Amino acid sequence: MKIKSLLIANRGEIAIRIIRTTRKMGIRSFVIKTAKEPNAWYLEEADEIIDFSEDFDDIIPEFLDIERIIKSAKKRNIDAIHPGYGFLAENPDFARRCEEEKITFIGPSHDAIYRMGHKTIAKELAREHGVPLLGGSPGAVRDAEEARKIANKIGYPVILKAAAGGGGRGMRVVEKEKNIERMFTLATNEAAKAFNNPDVFLERFVREPRHIEFQILADQHGNVVHLGERECSVQRKHQKLLEESPSPALTPALRKKMGEAAINIAKSVNYYSAGTVEFLLDSDNSFSFMEMNTRIQVEHPVTEMVTGIDLIEQMILIAEGEKLPFTQKEIKLNGWAIEWRINAEDVQSGFSPSLGTIEKISWPESENIRVDTGVRDGSVITPYYDSMIAKLIVYGDTREKAMQLSSQAIRKFWIKGTKTTLAFCRAVLQNSNFRKGNFNTSFLSKELKIHYHNEPDDALLAAFFATYDYAREINENEEKPLHTENGKAITPWVLKKRLR
Amino acid sequence: MARSAKKKTSTKLIALSATNKAYEFKKPLEKRFKYQGKEVDVRLHEDPKGFSYIVWKNKKYMLDVIEKKQNRYTIMVNGVWHSFTVETPVSLKRKRYLEKQADSSAGVTIEAPMPGKIIDIMVEEGGEVKEGEPIIILEAMKMQNEINSHITGIVQKVSVKKGESVMKDDALIEIKKA
Repeated sequence: MKIKSLLIANRGEIAIRIIRTTRKMGIRSFVIKTAKEPNAWYLEEADEIIDFSEDFDDIIPEFLDIERIIKSAKKRNIDAIHPGYGFLAENPDFARRCEEEKITFIGPSHDAIYRMGHKTIAKELAREHGVPLLGGSPGAVRDAEEARKIANKIGYPVILKAAAGGGGRGMRVVEKEKNIERMFTLATNEAAKAFNNPDVFLERFVREPRHIEFQILADQHGNVVHLGERECSVQRKHQKLLEESPSPALTPALRKKMGEAAINIAKSVNYYSAGTVEFLLDSDNSFSFMEMNTRIQVEHPVTEMVTGIDLIEQMILIAEGEKLPFTQKEIKLNGWAIEWRINAEDVQSGFSPSLGTIEKISWPESENIRVDTGVRDGSVITPYYDSMIAKLIVYGDTREKAMQLSSQAIRKFWIKGTKTTLAFCRAVLQNSNFRKGNFNTSFLSKELKIHYHNEPDDALLAAFFATYDYAREINENEEKPLHTENGKAITPWVLKKRLR
Repeated sequence: MARSAKKKTSTKLIALSATNKAYEFKKPLEKRFKYQGKEVDVRLHEDPKGFSYIVWKNKKYMLDVIEKKQNRYTIMVNGVWHSFTVETPVSLKRKRYLEKQADSSAGVTIEAPMPGKIIDIMVEEGGEVKEGEPIIILEAMKMQNEINSHITGIVQKVSVKKGESVMKDDALIEIKKA
């Protein structure tokens, strides 16, 4: 069945990213307007807006309100819903409700989401299909006491993970027995809050693995292919900060072996749509299955850059019942792509969120540079959603060239108004072990001692600019009073927002 | 205008960094200062998109005032921020004098690094706390963040309650150095 209209149950850059493909395919796009971001850019990019902004409901946030989203889609006769990532993307009830209401869910079946989303079921499936795993609790851990018992048996360090989780939330590493109670409470609280399910499980913690994930595409006719791997080892507290494809750690033989394991995982739940199978890769090249993400990933652009395949388009075609237009043999990885996550975070204060208004944003344009973003001049980084400003994706024939262009692009990526992770990106690019491709998930804590890149005269120039600004203001003050707030001149953007 | 132009030439200012390093500029508005023993011109520009930058040793340094409250400045240079207070020679002298006089036994206040909700408080008034120990769990941006004490000492005051929402820079806990 051809999809003619599509509701994107998401916001920000991913909504805009999906619209880029719906436009290409001639599909009418719908998005949801919320009171939290009534002037967001994605609203202007869509063909139609569904207004949820009249009530500011803190109990069920707009993008999690299954029945309201379904009702809105039915009322407008919308053919399909794309959930993006986060929110309802991996909620089996949402996929099931779409199926019941004859709305095409752009994603896998609710059964596949349920089984892969439930980490303990997923592990059991992996075991049955001969995919290697780490030791740990057989199911959810009942209480801190049980966690202590299992941990003492398999040995520290261990990791507690939300059974329904993903994206690093509800995850805690426990180094010593004395911390297990506190960490168990933190993990269950966070899991309950984030996923509405407090279950956590426990497993052996591999200290310095690489985090490698495989992109899967599967149709509804049993064809499954992988589109190579993404290297996601540069993380902070399990939050990815940059991703690349391919990984400097994989040989063609290892890629084939891990790719086959990923395909086996997908086949174990009759998976269709795009999905990602995550592995931990140990320094001896042994790998273990971690989880499968049954959605499009934030970092999907690096795979698109090296394969030339539009993943969102494939997801829509698969949902329409089309067969995959390529076989495994026809998929070639060309060149190298790196994605830099530019977040509104204060790298100098432990990556704490830095809220505020993006007064101005600008980046260099080139055919080898892709920027996926949901913000533009005047956009606000709110406390309601994540702190992402943009994803800078850089392509090169080789890793060396991709890094070289990254340095230039990051230097010319300008953001005025908030603190960002750009200085972190520069620090990574200066690191010789990163440049050699020699790193793992301990990169931030062990290798990169200073998380931002400073140049010798930075402080001097900053000091000069402070005195210059101060002196200038004293001069101007003698002529007219300044409209300031928090000491910063109120920009036209902020004023415009206030006036609404 | 004539009056302020006159004032311009006579302002000597000092930017004092958070680590107490003083950067002195005789006439900041003239965009000249001494660098490695030589007077150099600073080329300060604003590009058509409204970004400010200095061309320094043939490289562009992007500048942004991230925060300013009276004479306290946070300036971003190429994505890295630096905090200063801008002082005149007189105010700097007074500041240094006051610092000497200040009661060294005063408590240190731990502030909320971001807006959020207090999920848990792990210390009580009168209790001991060690550097690096978690004192509060603050939920923000969908994450539970541990706020750790950066000093060792005795908790003097707990200014928040469990479940309460706080703004950035709100005082959370006051700790007296041990």
